[in-house]
Amino acid sequence: MSTPENKTALPLMHLGVTRPEELAPLFAGLRGRFDEECAWACDDSSWKQFRDAWLGRKSGVLTQITENWLEPATIELKRVVGQELNQLRAHVESKIEERRKAIEAGAGEAASARERVDLSLPGVIRPIGSHHLIRQVFQQIEDIFFSIGFSVVEGPEIETPYYNFEALNIPEFHPVRDDMDTFYLDLPKGATPPLLLRTHTSPMQIRTMEKRQPPVRVIVPGKVYRRDNPDATHSFIFHQVEGLAVDTDITFCDFTGTIEYFVKQFFGPGVKTRFRPSYFPFTEPSVEFDGSCIFCGGRGSAAGGGICSKCKGSGWIELFGAGMVDPAVYGFVKYDPKKVSGFAFGMGIDRLAMLKYGIDDIQVFFQNDVRFLRQFP
Amino acid sequence: MKIVYNWLRDFVGVTAPPDELASRLALSGTNISGIENGAHGAVIDAEVSSNRPDCLGHYGIAREVSAVYKLPLKPISPKPQESVAAKAGDAARVEIQSPELCGRFTARVIRGAKIQPSPQWLKDRLEASGVASINNVVDASNYVMLELGHALHAFDYDKVRDHRIVVRRAKPSEKLRTLDGIERTLDPGICMICDGDGSRAVGIGGIMGGAETEISFSTKNVLIECAWFDPIAIRRATRILKLHTEASTRFGRGADFEMAELASRRCAELILQLAGGELLAGVVDVYPGKRQPKKILLTRAELLRVMGADVPDKQIESSLSALGFAAVRVDQNRGAEGSLLAAWECTQPSWRAEVEREIDLIEEVARIYGLDKFPPRLPAARQGAARLPHYEAETRLRERLIGLGYCEILTIPHVAEDRDALFRPPDLQPARLANPLSEKANVLKSTGIVTMPAALEWNLNRGQRNVRLFEIGRHYRLHGSESVETPILTIGTTGEARAKGLYDTPRDYSFADLKGDLDALGALAGGFTWNEGGPAWLHPARRGRVALHNEAIGEAGELTLRIADQLKLRQEIFLAELQLPSLYAVIRAAKESRKYEPVPRFPAVERDFSLLLADGTHFSDVAATVRSLNIREIVFIEAIDLYRGKNVPAGQYSLLIRVTFQSRETTLTEAQLTDFSARIVAALEKQLGARLRAS
Ligand SMILES: [Zn+2]
Repeated sequence: MSTPENKTALPLMHLGVTRPEELAPLFAGLRGRFDEECAWACDDSSWKQFRDAWLGRKSGVLTQITENWLEPATIELKRVVGQELNQLRAHVESKIEERRKAIEAGAGEAASARERVDLSLPGVIRPIGSHHLIRQVFQQIEDIFFSIGFSVVEGPEIETPYYNFEALNIPEFHPVRDDMDTFYLDLPKGATPPLLLRTHTSPMQIRTMEKRQPPVRVIVPGKVYRRDNPDATHSFIFHQVEGLAVDTDITFCDFTGTIEYFVKQFFGPGVKTRFRPSYFPFTEPSVEFDGSCIFCGGRGSAAGGGICSKCKGSGWIELFGAGMVDPAVYGFVKYDPKKVSGFAFGMGIDRLAMLKYGIDDIQVFFQNDVRFLRQFP
Repeated sequence: MKIVYNWLRDFVGVTAPPDELASRLALSGTNISGIENGAHGAVIDAEVSSNRPDCLGHYGIAREVSAVYKLPLKPISPKPQESVAAKAGDAARVEIQSPELCGRFTARVIRGAKIQPSPQWLKDRLEASGVASINNVVDASNYVMLELGHALHAFDYDKVRDHRIVVRRAKPSEKLRTLDGIERTLDPGICMICDGDGSRAVGIGGIMGGAETEISFSTKNVLIECAWFDPIAIRRATRILKLHTEASTRFGRGADFEMAELASRRCAELILQLAGGELLAGVVDVYPGKRQPKKILLTRAELLRVMGADVPDKQIESSLSALGFAAVRVDQNRGAEGSLLAAWECTQPSWRAEVEREIDLIEEVARIYGLDKFPPRLPAARQGAARLPHYEAETRLRERLIGLGYCEILTIPHVAEDRDALFRPPDLQPARLANPLSEKANVLKSTGIVTMPAALEWNLNRGQRNVRLFEIGRHYRLHGSESVETPILTIGTTGEARAKGLYDTPRDYSFADLKGDLDALGALAGGFTWNEGGPAWLHPARRGRVALHNEAIGEAGELTLRIADQLKLRQEIFLAELQLPSLYAVIRAAKESRKYEPVPRFPAVERDFSLLLADGTHFSDVAATVRSLNIREIVFIEAIDLYRGKNVPAGQYSLLIRVTFQSRETTLTEAQLTDFSARIVAALEKQLGARLRAS
């Protein structure tokens, strides 16, 4: 009446089994069926189906035997059913495991060639955007200085001449103003003060010191503007990070130590540094800070012979200007120049990024060509 | 400033080869931009910083070399042969009417000079310095300028009326044709050199001579002017006249009062040597600006406080003295070397007017000693560091946008007025530039959005058809005469939302993509609300306003066809602009106020309703109607499918909504669910005239 497939769906009584010796052939039949089906499980999906058919917790053959044969069995049958079931389970589990190993080991090669993913094909491509390189360099610099106690502050790009020049010890007609050709805003007639686009992030030195008492340690990332005609190395907008540290005990040695730490973090420990005396109206002593040329390793000679074009053979590349805060500046913010000292620096981010990543045209930062942007995810 | 190596050796016996010399100079403060080996030996190109006018001549550089190499500097003491009979004072007179502009004026007169081409050695040195040779007298004055750093001017003595020089302020709108042949209009801040009764200008003091009195090959008698002009007035004049000369560079940075007479004497000596003639005895020297040299004290205590490491006494003294500061120990501990109380009194040399303070002397000592001798150390921080207040909100926003496929861009805020006006809200005062570089960049962008279409266009023009961009920047506006800068997020996209690929069919970016992406950002702030309307630059059918807690913070939509056409953008462009300050604040507040909500323990059940709705009925009406039933077990109401067309009557559309029910207390029964569904359908039918479609 009943087919072998659904035998296990019925209690033993319904199969007409009442004596223990009738159980052995019954189980033998199941084992034979199992062995037969086992050969069909030749790939992952057929193996899973096969495993679930026999070992599935809800309706697998072994679960059915437990529920339909073992649990309702009479006392004289129960022990033998249990023994037979355990033997069958051991056989099934070991065979299924064996089969899995065989499939994985490539026993079912024909099937798995069909099934195996082609790793040279792409996955589903989801569009992922990118950080602007300038923003990444800002972040790197912020992280380095943050790790040594510098807070981050921001300030206005539209400034007054007082903050951009005068309070930084750059009075009107100072020669340094000639190097900072300035954009002015067109204001209603008679409006004072005039407004300009800041030519450096240094105004934030003044704004910060006006607001805070020493100790002060800040960096100021931001955009700055100089009225230069654009070319490969000039843009009338570029980016700077200003730094300022003022305390009762900051010396030139602390200053050079901080800058050196930064450069080694940013360009790598192999980069050598040097300080050249320089001039800025708002720092004294002022320095121009050089790093050993990363293109020629500081040798000054190009790989193919001749002099290195990036450092013009000197082995050094000018990185940025810095210095000890000029005491005159403290006068503008009511700090006592006899009690406090400090240092300040202003680095051009576009230039640092160009050096670090080998970019030869500053304009690419502002063209926003996605083929450029995606190079720096 | 071109430093001719051999010329330098006239004054200091340096033997180091030019490249080594250049490197030592660079490390002691003379910025070197290169070395050339030309026909006349090595020429070192120095970019002398504006505080060092003394280094705009070979002698000043030689002084640096002598300090760095500890070599003696040869003194300059020209002793030209003077006439026994005739005196300069009888041959020429000088009157300074504006001593605040001209602090000293010297004149020497040479009679019977023979103007001719210069000898080769002189031509060579001028050529090496990049100065053209003109004739022996003019060349002599240029030579002395390059040697001593002080500019001189030679007049044709006979063309100077009454042989009298008057120095005065220019009259309003006074005009003068300068040596370069250009007629210049002057103002009273400018110092004029005049002749006769002072009515005729013959030169702009410290900047350029006039054409009428210049030296020519017919000149016989020469008047040598060597003066001192106020640097601020000179710089102001060069700015106004847009006229920069070798002379104005030197006077504009602050020339040496004392050098005026010395350079004149040296020039006279050279003219006698080159052109012969008779030098009238003495000098006409009007010197209203004479001042006493300043005394400046340098203490070791201050040196240590600023530099953080010491410099030996001998080094301090030798450096300062070599530079002309004549350092003398003046403290109580005078005998004791290295005393912490050591103090030196220094005298400011006339060529270093900018050195006035102790800090200036410290810099001099440090740079000659070598900055590398001060050991770097990393100072300990005294207090915690803080990021920008919006750092976290901005970072999360940026990372989320990048995850959604947007590339961050930076645009230049200078835009053309007419372009800005396309996107500018009415009645808004833009920040115009008074001196733009071009008319295409004459106003600062008054919206974030205005620079976005150009960035998209750049990419479209280069074959990049699927572009998603964002910018975190600022827009700039004026309120009266005050500027306002507002941080702003701008988004711009065009092309496909999903490209054709192995596993997907292509789909164009649509308003829904933009809204979805913005809502992904809004989730950081507890969710945006969307309101009808928007600016005129957005398509009226596909735009919306974005708000946070009833505060409008931006707008989003498709660029209107009118502007897209005008900008020649052939693909659909989607744009959004959000004000960041409010968004940052709400993101921060939302983060602070978030609290755990237990995850429900009982299963959720979904029921779908296929509705026929009249066009113009919004999903929000449907959701509000369902919510108005106040069934607590409703946890979600979603729109699953929207359809117009076949089998849907005109003027209507079909909307499939899915309502999810879930109780926090119990598993919902079939009877409850049936009741909920019936009430929902009844409400939708009654309030919105919706009809349930047979599914
Ligand atoms: Zn190099």
